[in-house]
Amino acid sequence: MSAGTSAISERKQAVRQQHGRWLTALLLAPSVIWFFVLLILPLIVVVVYSVGVRAPAGGYQAAFTFDNYLNLPARWAAFRNTLTLAPLGTLICLLAGYPLAYFLAVKASAKWRVLLLILVIVPFWTSFLIRTYAWIFILGGRGIPALLDSIGIEGVRLINTPFSVMCGIVYAYLPLMVFPIYVSLEKLDKRLLEASEDLGAGPWATFRQITLPLSAPGMITGCMLVFILLMGEYLIPQMLGGGKVFFIGNALVDLFLQSLNWPYGSACAMALVLIMLITVTLYLRATSATGGRRDASLI
Amino acid sequence: MLRAYSILLYLFLYGPIALIVVFSFNSGLSAADFQGFSFKWYAKVATNELMLSALKTSLTVAFTSAALATIMGTMAALALQRVQGAVRVLFDALTYIAIMVPGIVIGIATLIALVTTFEAVNTLLAQIWPGDAPPKFGMGYGSIIAAHTLFAMALVIVIVRARIAGMDRSLIEASMDLYADPWATFRQVTLPQLAPAILAGFLLCFTFSFDDFVIAFFVAGPLNTLPIYVFSSIRRGVTPEINAIGTAIMLFSLIMLFGAQILLRRRQKPAK
Amino acid sequence: MDRKDFIKQLRRYQKGSISRRHFLGVTGLGTATAVLAGSMPHLLTSRRAYAQDLGDQVNLTTWPDYHEVKNFEKFTAETGVKINVTVFGSNEEMFAKLKAGGTGWDVLVPTNYTIETYVGEDMFEELDAALLPNYAPASYTDPRFTEAGNVGGKTYAVHKDWGTTGYVINSSKVTENPTSWKEFWDLTNGAHAGRTMVHDYQLTTIGNALKYFGYSFNSNDEKELAEAEKLLIDSKPNLFAINSDYKPSLLNGDAYMSVCWTGDAKQLKKTDPAFDYVLGKEGGEIWADFYAVPKGAPHRAAAYALINFLLEPHVNADEVLFHGYPVADKRVIDLLPPEIVNDPIMYPAAELLAPLEFGAAATLTNPARAEIMARFKSA
Repeated sequence: MSAGTSAISERKQAVRQQHGRWLTALLLAPSVIWFFVLLILPLIVVVVYSVGVRAPAGGYQAAFTFDNYLNLPARWAAFRNTLTLAPLGTLICLLAGYPLAYFLAVKASAKWRVLLLILVIVPFWTSFLIRTYAWIFILGGRGIPALLDSIGIEGVRLINTPFSVMCGIVYAYLPLMVFPIYVSLEKLDKRLLEASEDLGAGPWATFRQITLPLSAPGMITGCMLVFILLMGEYLIPQMLGGGKVFFIGNALVDLFLQSLNWPYGSACAMALVLIMLITVTLYLRATSATGGRRDASLI
Repeated sequence: MLRAYSILLYLFLYGPIALIVVFSFNSGLSAADFQGFSFKWYAKVATNELMLSALKTSLTVAFTSAALATIMGTMAALALQRVQGAVRVLFDALTYIAIMVPGIVIGIATLIALVTTFEAVNTLLAQIWPGDAPPKFGMGYGSIIAAHTLFAMALVIVIVRARIAGMDRSLIEASMDLYADPWATFRQVTLPQLAPAILAGFLLCFTFSFDDFVIAFFVAGPLNTLPIYVFSSIRRGVTPEINAIGTAIMLFSLIMLFGAQILLRRRQKPAK
Repeated sequence: MDRKDFIKQLRRYQKGSISRRHFLGVTGLGTATAVLAGSMPHLLTSRRAYAQDLGDQVNLTTWPDYHEVKNFEKFTAETGVKINVTVFGSNEEMFAKLKAGGTGWDVLVPTNYTIETYVGEDMFEELDAALLPNYAPASYTDPRFTEAGNVGGKTYAVHKDWGTTGYVINSSKVTENPTSWKEFWDLTNGAHAGRTMVHDYQLTTIGNALKYFGYSFNSNDEKELAEAEKLLIDSKPNLFAINSDYKPSLLNGDAYMSVCWTGDAKQLKKTDPAFDYVLGKEGGEIWADFYAVPKGAPHRAAAYALINFLLEPHVNADEVLFHGYPVADKRVIDLLPPEIVNDPIMYPAAELLAPLEFGAAATLTNPARAEIMARFKSA
C-alpha cells in the first residue's frame, strides 16, 4: 500500500515539478524577451554599425572595417575630459559627502536620522534637468558674478567653464554618494568605537583604523554609482559648459544628431561601454575583496 | 563642527531648489531680479498648449512604462527564486547591464535598432500591403515606452528581489503546509508582503520615466515629453515660466517619492 | 436638437473638447452656413480650400521664434486644426530626426542647402500646386531665393523667407564699430575676450572663420579649412559659448557679440536699440528658408492647408513683422510698412549683399567640416 501511494505521490511530485518549470518559464519569458529585444539586440546593432561606414548623406552604410575604432583617438579630447572630470567629480562628491553620511549614521539622533536621510535623497529624484538649470542662473551674469560685482569684485566669469560643470556634477550626484556610505556606516557597531576609545585611541586614530575600513564597501559603491553615471553624462556639460566642455556624452550626441556619422558614433559608444565594463569588473573585485555584501538596493 | 558642516551641506542642496521656487513667483519678466509676488507664471503655464501636450505625453509614457516594468519585473523576480546556475547568472548579468550601460548609449542603441527595424518592416509592408497607404512604423509612444520600460524593469527586479530576500519564509512555508494550492499562498501570503516593494518600485519607475531626458531625447521621434520641452525652453533662455514648470515638476516628483518611501518603510513593520 | 443640447455642445466647443467642425456639424449650423455660403459666395471664400476634412492636428517642424503665434491661433480658429510645433537648433538635427523617426511630421522648414539632400534621399514629396493657391511663383523678386526649392524641374519646397548671417554687437559695450569678419575675430581674441559667441553649427562657424582669411564661405579646400580650424581652436578659450541660442546671453549681458541671423538681430534690436547688426564686408552667408512636406506626412491635407495659409500675403506680412526676416514675395513687401522695407538689417544695401554666398549642400554634408567642428568643440 505504501509503495502504491509513494509511486502516486512521486508522480504528483513530478507533475508539480513540470508545472513549476512551466510557471517559471512563463514568469521569466516577458522580461527575457524585453531584455533581448530592447537591450541585447540594440547593442548588437551598435556593434554592427561600428564596423560600417558613414553613408554619404549621413547615417549608416553597410561595410566591414575597423577604421572607426582606429579613428577613436580623434575624440581623445572628449575621452580625456570625461576621464579627468568624472573621477575628479567623484572624488569631490566623496570628500563632501562622507562627513554628512558619517554625521547621519553615527552622530545624529535616531528620531531625526530617517527624516534627514530622506531630505538628502529627495533632491536626487527630483528633476535632474531643473536642478541643473538652477545653476545656469546662479553662475550666470545675473547670479553670483552680479553679487560679487556689487561688493567690488568685477569681471568674474563662472558659467561655461569646467568649474561650472563641476559645480553641476557635485550638486547633482552628492545625494547618490551619501546614501551607500550611510548604509555602510549605519551597520557599524558603535561598541567598536567605544572600545577603541576605552583602549586609548584618539578620535582620529579610531576613524582611520576602524571606521574608514569598515565603511569601505559603502564608499566603493557610492564612487562606482557616481562614476558610472558621470561617464555617460551629457546634460550637465551641455547646459553648464556652453558648448565648450565636451564629454563623451556630448561627442555621442554630436556624432548621432549633428555630424550624422553613425558608424563612428557607434564605435565611440562601444568604447564607452568597454570602459564601463572594466570599471564595474574592478568594482566587483574590490567589493568581494573587502568582504562586503553587494548592496542590492540602489535607492 | 560636523553638525555645522551638515547644515551647510543641506543649505547647498536646497538653496538652488529654493531659488527656483522663489523666482517662480516673480512678477517681473526676468528670472533674476525679483520684482514682486505673483502667480501669473503658473497661470501662463496652465494655458501653455505645447507644455500641456508634452505633459500628457510624459504622463502616458511614465504610467505605461512603470506598469509594464512592475508587472514583468515582479514576475521575473519571483521566478528567479526558483532558478539556479547558468540561467540565474545570465539574468543577473542582463539586469546589471541594463542598469550599468549609460542612458545615452541605451538611447542611441535603441534609436538605431528601431530605425533599422522599422525601415525593413516598412519596406516589407509597402510591398505586401494591398492598399495604397500601408501603415508605417515610426518613433513615438511605442519607442519611448519600450526604452523606459527596459531600465525600469531592471530597477523593479533589483528592488523586489531585495525584498524577497528579506522576507519571512516561515509564513510561506506554513501556508504551503496548510493549503495545497500554491496560488492561494501566493495571493494571500506572498503578495501582501511584497506589495509595498512592488508599489514602491512602480512609483520609482514612474518618477524615473517622468524625469528622463536623455533616452527620450533620442527615441521620442516627433513627440515632446515634458523634459524635452523644458530642455528646449531652457535653450531659449531663463524665464520664470520655466521656474514655475520646474517647481510643479519637483512637487510632483516629491509626492511620488514620499509615497514610495512610506510604502517601503511599512515593510519594516511586520504584519500583525 | 433642443436648447439644452445646443448649450452643452456650445460649452464643449468653447472648452475645446470638440472641434469647430464637429460643433458645426452636430448643431446643424454647418449646414446652415453652407447653405448661406451658397447663396452668398463671397461669404466663405477662404474656406473653400478646406473643403475636405483636415483632421484635428498638424505637426510643424521649424526654428525658434520663427512664427507669429496669433497666426497659428487664427489658423486653428478657421480650420479647427491644432498646430504642434517642434523646434530644432540645426539643419543636421532636423535631418537626423526626420531620417530616423520618419513618420510624424507634416510641415518642415528646411534651409536652401538641405533641400537637394532631402530630395536625393527621397524624403520630400513633390508639392501639388493645386493645393497651394496662395503660392505665386511670379511674385518673387529674385529667383535666387526660390530656385533651391526646385530640384530636377519639380517643386519640392516653397519660399518662406530669406536672410543673412552676420554678427550682432551690443554697441554700448563694443564701441570699436567693427565692419568686417577680421575685426570680429580680432575683437574676440582681444578687447572682448570671453564675451563672444559662435553658433553650434558647422556651416556658419567654419564659414565665418574662413571669412577671416577672405576665403570662400563654402570652401572645402583642405588647406583653407586647416587655417580656419587653427583660428577656431586658438579662439576657443576666448569664446563665451558655442551655442546657437545666443539671444538670452546677449540680453542678460553675459555676451557682447555673437554670430547672428537677420531676424534674431531685428528681434534683439526691438528689445534693446543698442544692438547693431554687422555684415562683414569680406562676405558671408545669404540663405533662404522654405516650406516642404515630407513623404508620408500623416496629416497631408492639413499640411497643405497650413502652408497655403502662411503664404497668404496678409498673414505672411504679419509673420514678417514678428520674426523680422525679409521675404522675397512682392505681394508681401507691398503690404509692409516703409520702415521695414528700408530697414538695413532686414533689407541690406546691395553692396553688402553682393559678396554673400548661398550655402551649398556639399558644404553641409562634408564630413571633413563636421570633423573640424567636433575637434573644435572638444579642444
